Amino acid sequence: MKKIFIFILFFYILVLLQTSFLIHFNIFLSGFLGGSLILIAIFFINLFEKTEEKSGLFLAFFGGFLLDIFSENLFGFYILILMVIAIFIKFILKRYVRAPSIKRF
Amino acid sequence: MKPPLSFKIGIISVLLVALFAVLNLTGFSKEIKNFFYLISSPIQKIFWEVGERTSNFFEGISETKNLKKENEDLKLKIQELEVEIASLKETKKENEFLRKALEIDLKKDFNLVLAEVTGEDLSGDILIINKGSRDGISKDFPVITEQKILVGKISQTYDNFSKVMLITNKESAFNGKIEERDYNPPTTSEVPAEGRRVEGGLESQPPGGDWVPIEGVVKGGGNFKLYFELLPKDKEIKEGESVITSSLGGIFPKGLLVGKIKEVKKSDVEPFQQAEILPIFDIKELKNLFIITNF
Repeated sequence: MKKIFIFILFFYILVLLQTSFLIHFNIFLSGFLGGSLILIAIFFINLFEKTEEKSGLFLAFFGGFLLDIFSENLFGFYILILMVIAIFIKFILKRYVRAPSIKRF
Repeated sequence: MKPPLSFKIGIISVLLVALFAVLNLTGFSKEIKNFFYLISSPIQKIFWEVGERTSNFFEGISETKNLKKENEDLKLKIQELEVEIASLKETKKENEFLRKALEIDLKKDFNLVLAEVTGEDLSGDILIINKGSRDGISKDFPVITEQKILVGKISQTYDNFSKVMLITNKESAFNGKIEERDYNPPTTSEVPAEGRRVEGGLESQPPGGDWVPIEGVVKGGGNFKLYFELLPKDKEIKEGESVITSSLGGIFPKGLLVGKIKEVKKSDVEPFQQAEILPIFDIKELKNLFIITNF
C-alpha cells in the first residue's frame, strides 16, 4: 500500500513537471505523446514487477487518471491506454518470458 | 467459493465503463479538474517560472554567437520603428479629432482581465490560465499578450481556471490580412476612393493609401505551426511581412498582430497560395496574458 501511495505522489509530480517545466524545452522532451514520462514509468514498473502482483495495474489506473485531468480529450482516454499497456506487458511476461524480475519490488 | 477470474474482470470493466460514463456525461469531470488545477496551481507556477529561467539560461549559452548580430539588427529596427511611431501618433491625433468633429464614436479601448499561465495541456497547443468563470471569463474571449499580440481564445472555462486554445491549435481558424507595407499616411488631397484596385505589381505601387489588403485564413497546424491559406494567386507575398487580424468573421477584434510570413508556397495546380506564418509570441516566454472581455 505504501508503495502505491509513493508512486502516486511521484506520478503527480511528474505530470506537473510535464505540463509546466518541460514545455520550455525541446518539443521531444515535453512529450510527443502527451504524458510520455508517465508512460515510460508505467512501462518500467510493470516490466520489473512480479506478474502476480496487481499494484502495477492500480498504478496504471492512477497514472492515467492524473493524465486525463490535465488533458483535453475524453476523460478515460489515458486510463484506458495505460491499463491496456500494463495488462499487455504482464501478459507477455507471464506467458513468454522467463527472465527473473527484480527482487526489490 | 471464489469467483473465477473472468467474472472479476467483467465486474471491474463494467465499473470502469460506468465511471467513465458518469464522468464524461455529467459535469463532474469539470469539478474534479477544477479541484486538481486549484491545488496544483502554486506548484505549477513555480515550475513554469523555473522552467523559463532555466531555458533562458541554456538558450543564452547556445545563442552567444548570434546574440551580437541580433542585438545590432534589433537596435536598427527599433530606430526605424520609433520613427514610424512618431508619425503614427500624429495620425492618431488627427483621427480622433476628425471622429469627434464628424461625431462618429471614438474607438473604445478593450476591457482587459489579467491572468497568469500555469501550464500547458497535455494534448498540446492549449494553455491553462488561472482565471475562470468566477472572474467573468466566458468561452471564445480573445487572449493577447501585453504587446497586443494575439495568442488564442478561451476554449473552456472552469470555476477558477480556463483553457486557452492557441492560434497554432489544429482547430483554430480565423481571418487575417497582410499589413500595409511602407505605410505612408495619405495626404489630405489624396484620400482614396473605396474599392479602387491597384494595377500592376508591388513595385509600381504609388505612395499613399491605395494598398489593397491581402486577405486569407489563418489556420493552426499543431505543434506551434501556423498557416496562412486561401490566398489569391495574383498577389505577391513576401517573406517577413506582418499578418494581422482582419475584421471579417468577428472571431477576433481587428488589428491584432499574428505573426510574420516565413515561407510562401505557390503551385500551378492549386487555386490558392499558401504561406507559413512564424508566430510572434514564444510559448516559452508567456507568463502574463490579457483576456479581452468586450469587443
